[in-house]
Amino acid sequence: MTTDTRLRRITGHVVLTVLSIACAFPIYWLYATSLRAPGDVHSLTILPWPLSTANYAAAFANNDVARMLANTAIVALLSAAGQLLVGLLAAYAFAAWTFPLRRTLYLMFVGTWLVPFQATMLPNYVLLARLGLLETLAGVIIPNLCSALGVLLLREHLAGFPKELLDAARMDGRSSWNILWTVVVPVIRPALAALGILLVITAWNEYFWPAMVLQRGNAVVQLGLRSFMGTEGNDWGPLMATAGLACLPVFVLYLVLQRHIVQAFVRSGLK
Amino acid sequence: MSRVRLQGLTRRFGSVTAVDDVWLDVADGELLVLLGPSGCGKSTLLRMIAGLLPPTAGRVLLDDTDVTTVPPQRRDVAMVFQSYALYPHLSVAGNIGFPLRARRRSRADIRRKVTEVAGALDLSALLDRKPRELSGGQRQRVALGRALVRDPGAFLMDEPLSNLDARLRATTRAEIAELHRALGATIVYVTHDQVEAMTMATRVAVLDQGRVEQAGTPAEVYDEPASVFVATFLGAPAMNIVPATVVATDGGLTVRATDLDLPLGIDATTPGRDVLLGVRPEHLTLTGEPGIRAVVTAVENLGGDEVAHCRAGTHTLAVRGPRPLRLAAGDRVGLTARPEHLHLFDPGTGGRLVWRTADIATPERNFA
Ligand SMILES: Nc1ncnc2c1ncn2[C@@H]1O[C@H](COP(=O)(O)OP(=O)(O)OP(=O)(O)O)[C@@H](O)[C@H]1O
Ligand SMILES: [Mg+2]
Repeated sequence: MTTDTRLRRITGHVVLTVLSIACAFPIYWLYATSLRAPGDVHSLTILPWPLSTANYAAAFANNDVARMLANTAIVALLSAAGQLLVGLLAAYAFAAWTFPLRRTLYLMFVGTWLVPFQATMLPNYVLLARLGLLETLAGVIIPNLCSALGVLLLREHLAGFPKELLDAARMDGRSSWNILWTVVVPVIRPALAALGILLVITAWNEYFWPAMVLQRGNAVVQLGLRSFMGTEGNDWGPLMATAGLACLPVFVLYLVLQRHIVQAFVRSGLK
Repeated sequence: MSRVRLQGLTRRFGSVTAVDDVWLDVADGELLVLLGPSGCGKSTLLRMIAGLLPPTAGRVLLDDTDVTTVPPQRRDVAMVFQSYALYPHLSVAGNIGFPLRARRRSRADIRRKVTEVAGALDLSALLDRKPRELSGGQRQRVALGRALVRDPGAFLMDEPLSNLDARLRATTRAEIAELHRALGATIVYVTHDQVEAMTMATRVAVLDQGRVEQAGTPAEVYDEPASVFVATFLGAPAMNIVPATVVATDGGLTVRATDLDLPLGIDATTPGRDVLLGVRPEHLTLTGEPGIRAVVTAVENLGGDEVAHCRAGTHTLAVRGPRPLRLAAGDRVGLTARPEHLHLFDPGTGGRLVWRTADIATPERNFA
């Protein structure tokens, strides 16, 4: 190896190390702060010592954190499930069927992706108000039941689905609806799982829309965080503890299903 | 088992006519091979029989029922795909039983039938494997099993052997032919491999650009090709085709070209007529008193046989015979062929020419 390529390698590693520390440090600091004793919250020591769970106790006492976490989970799971189902049905139709205006419809579907959230949030808000769904979880979930991203990704995935397999299933006596569930879904399950995880994480991290719909209550944990920020200053300890709890499911999901998630992101980027 | 009739079947994709006015009658128990080069519309035709593709015009009849608009799941035909199209998430047993589950047959019934078919195809030991854990030949048999398990009225097979290596292809070819005999099954079999067509078929339909050029027994299409296309598509090396003229001589009709002079064995007179002369490489023999004077340009060894490529006038001719031919490049040779082995075609249409009667002055196109 020449010194030149060696130098380049070392530089690469240094840059990557610096970047990962920059990414990971805030998260570390979040958990470190949440584990400090209440008096030490503003301490700048790298290692929190002595450890204390007092902040977590305060978070649970102050606020219904458990209920908020459960609500967040419901919102995330239901919107992801809805998006997955709509995406699957639409993508299947677009990929397996030929019908008039197929391209146009598909482009319109995907075009909704280009419409910024800010353009649709007010009409959606007004509609929810008319329907009396403000301040409800349903109001958070329903406008998010369909995502162009889900349709786009699944359609691209199904475009590569072997057509002979669909033909074989038809010859073997299955209706189109049956083929979807007995052939297509089992075969593309890895892709569905990956997309599902992506959608759950996105929905879990959603802040702005729940904040609009749920202005009075603190029904999801991301909003619960607000209650620790007051005019007299922020209650850092419990705030960090709640934030830590809010991140936890995503981290766990990530650690357990790392391979799937990386795949999902790569797919969404490359295909 | 069913009879399959195609009446004027046509399919266009935009400006491309993939299948053009095809009339075929596949009798009950027949193995009809659709043979043709890539892109001639074989798969398109088969998919229309299956119901996977609606025809632009024409009808498909199964026995006496018009099924042209009947969806595939309600036609009594099974299909074996070139890619096998096995369900990757199901075991071998699951794959073979799939059509029966779709028909809501009882579990015991399905198990019995799957065991029976797997036994017949030598798959009993593999029932729990997934398709990706099988070899190509085993996958092919599973695909066959999935078709067999249904007891369909007719089987449609789209190049089922093209993904197998040469040796496996030969054994599987024999297996399918045996299956056909044992079941008395009606089979429409698509291939571009003439060996498969010649060895398996009870009848061959040769397709070119969506049209049936000729349909007949393997011997008929080989011995009396209806057109230059059929003549050159079947046989290896391909039939020699030489532009020539038929003239009357003292010894009867003779076909002539540069360095070529072969008697047709017909005692008649005719004004000169341009034709395409066709003669198969294995029908050219070396002789001392030549009808053709040629120079050898190259010799190929095929193992049992040898092929000598020769030049006569401006044309090249292949000669095939048992090895050794005792020829080398540069040799001057005389060649001849028996009159019954000479085929004449019309230079314009490419159609086969036959003598209607010995005294008609010009060769007539055979319209049969
Ligand atoms: N869905 C389609 N859209 C447009 N053209 C098509 C379609 N399917 C087939 N064709 C055209 O029709 C013609 C016949 O195709 P087909 O697949 O039937 O050929 P084939 O004889 O089966 O060839 P191969 O031996 O390569 O499988 C080709 O020119 C092909 O390009
Ligand atoms: Mg084909």
